[in-house]
Amino acid sequence: MRRVWKRGRLALRLTFVTVFGLVLAFPLIYLLLGSVMSTAQLTSFPPQIFPSGLHLNNFSAAWQYVQVRSVINSVVFTVAVVGLQWALCIMGGFALAKMQFRHKNLIMGSLGLSLFVPAVTTLVPTFIVAEKLHLVNTYPGLIIPIVAQTGFGTILFRQFIVSLPDELIAAARLDGAHWTTVLIRVVVPLAKPMSGAYCALAGVTAWNMYLWPLVVANTPSVQVLPQTLAPLASSTYGSQIPENVAFAATVITTLPMVVVFLIAQRSFVRGLAGSGVD
Amino acid sequence: MAESATERRVEDLTSTGPPAALTRKPQGRSHPDRPWALLLLTPNLFLYALFIVVPIVLAVLLSFTSWNLVGAPKFVGLANYAQLFRDPMVPEAIKTTFVFLVIGTVPTVVLGLAIAVLLNTKVPFIGVIRTLYFVPAVVSFAASAVLWQWIYRPGQGILDYLLQQVGITGPAWLSNGHTALLALDIVGIWMELPVAILLYLAALQRIPESIIEAATLDGAGPFRRLRYIIWPGVRNITVIVVIVSTLAFTNGSFDLVKILTQGGPVNATTTLIYYIYYVAFDTVQVGYAAALSVLQVAMFGVLLGLLAAARKAAAR
Repeated sequence: MRRVWKRGRLALRLTFVTVFGLVLAFPLIYLLLGSVMSTAQLTSFPPQIFPSGLHLNNFSAAWQYVQVRSVINSVVFTVAVVGLQWALCIMGGFALAKMQFRHKNLIMGSLGLSLFVPAVTTLVPTFIVAEKLHLVNTYPGLIIPIVAQTGFGTILFRQFIVSLPDELIAAARLDGAHWTTVLIRVVVPLAKPMSGAYCALAGVTAWNMYLWPLVVANTPSVQVLPQTLAPLASSTYGSQIPENVAFAATVITTLPMVVVFLIAQRSFVRGLAGSGVD
Repeated sequence: MAESATERRVEDLTSTGPPAALTRKPQGRSHPDRPWALLLLTPNLFLYALFIVVPIVLAVLLSFTSWNLVGAPKFVGLANYAQLFRDPMVPEAIKTTFVFLVIGTVPTVVLGLAIAVLLNTKVPFIGVIRTLYFVPAVVSFAASAVLWQWIYRPGQGILDYLLQQVGITGPAWLSNGHTALLALDIVGIWMELPVAILLYLAALQRIPESIIEAATLDGAGPFRRLRYIIWPGVRNITVIVVIVSTLAFTNGSFDLVKILTQGGPVNATTTLIYYIYYVAFDTVQVGYAAALSVLQVAMFGVLLGLLAAARKAAAR
């Protein structure tokens, strides 16, 4: 009797979380369905849920709107930011965790400080620095100021590497291994889960980044996808770009991250939960 | 475990004591590690100094000047700070910022915990169901804005359709001064909920199932289990969730406001952070925008400091 009651409750609970989960995922599911509808179907009222046919030409129209260039730009930007930032953070984190020198607290403190300063508040001065260095509307101008946001990552890697046993590193050093060898042969392999989590998080952040590109990249040759997409969210766009094409364009920009998420879910979950250890 | 690492991360930002690994005495300038440590750290710190520290210092300096991006900034002393007190938009933007923050953070924390408790079970396919909840975390502000703009569309969107079924005529969500902020908060909650659920799940998975089962056998109902077993297990992480959502709903409010409402209608969604952007880029008063930035950082520095203190108290 008790068992039946327990099972019934579990079924109820699972039904509830499934239904509520579908409600939360609904905007994304509808994005996918709407991207293959005709304009008339998507804008009909009452709204239709299931497409009556596959209007795949939405995607070719959306592809033309999005421009291959901004897709390439987004890929270059994301890969460069994640790769460079990861390298800087793991090197810095390793030095701060396992090497002996002075003023470590000062360095950690100033790295942590940046987490509490919103990007908007330093936007103009950052732009001034980029402009003085002639970086406006260039790839380095888009990429390097974001790579420079090493505060969070360096602290994260330092915290992880500090927890690795000192003996491991001392042993490698006694065997005559150089610090850089210790980093590459010992620390980087051991920090793999942390690196996966960090790269997943940094990758999503870079792929979705809007504010800095908006300011520093104002020619199509360096623009990234969120910039291309943002005008489609204004209430007046419908006159120029049909809604179904806008949906298809949104799918094109969102799907890569969703696919990467589904493949590397463990890393993402660890990254979002702020940890590299399970 | 996931939770402990998160805690360590935040603790490190807030504690002033030396981290454990530094208790070994540094052996002075001549220590043989030093050149290699410098080599490993220099690229990182150089870029950080150039693009993060220098702009912060410049922002503070600019707050004492009047500048429209043309010519040289003119030193005006504390005039910009005096203007903060005269500008009627400042109290309004602060109020909007806090209303947006509270309406966003409270449901994120409460729903995040509730859903995490329900998802914290070991049955087949629970992973698939969890994925439904996690996916919105990878969607950009821009993409969310396209989607929600369509859901909110007056008289045409799916939300108004659903409301019609129960006899309510939906307001023009994004262009109505009474609902625009709420509408933005709903999008924000939708984007932030996955992170809250994840953090709570990580904490809940540390509570041994045997304890919950023993309590159930001893006759503890769902409410008492929540009060005496679950809550003590997630108290610490709750402060982290609040900090993370506070950062999301203050910094993140910018992208949503910028893309969906541009501060309108009639300033109803002008949060302080959006106002800073507006002053700097639309009215080109860079010095005044810098003073507003100092206000923003000071205000949230105090708030986050209080939250960090709450975290220490909760940990005890």
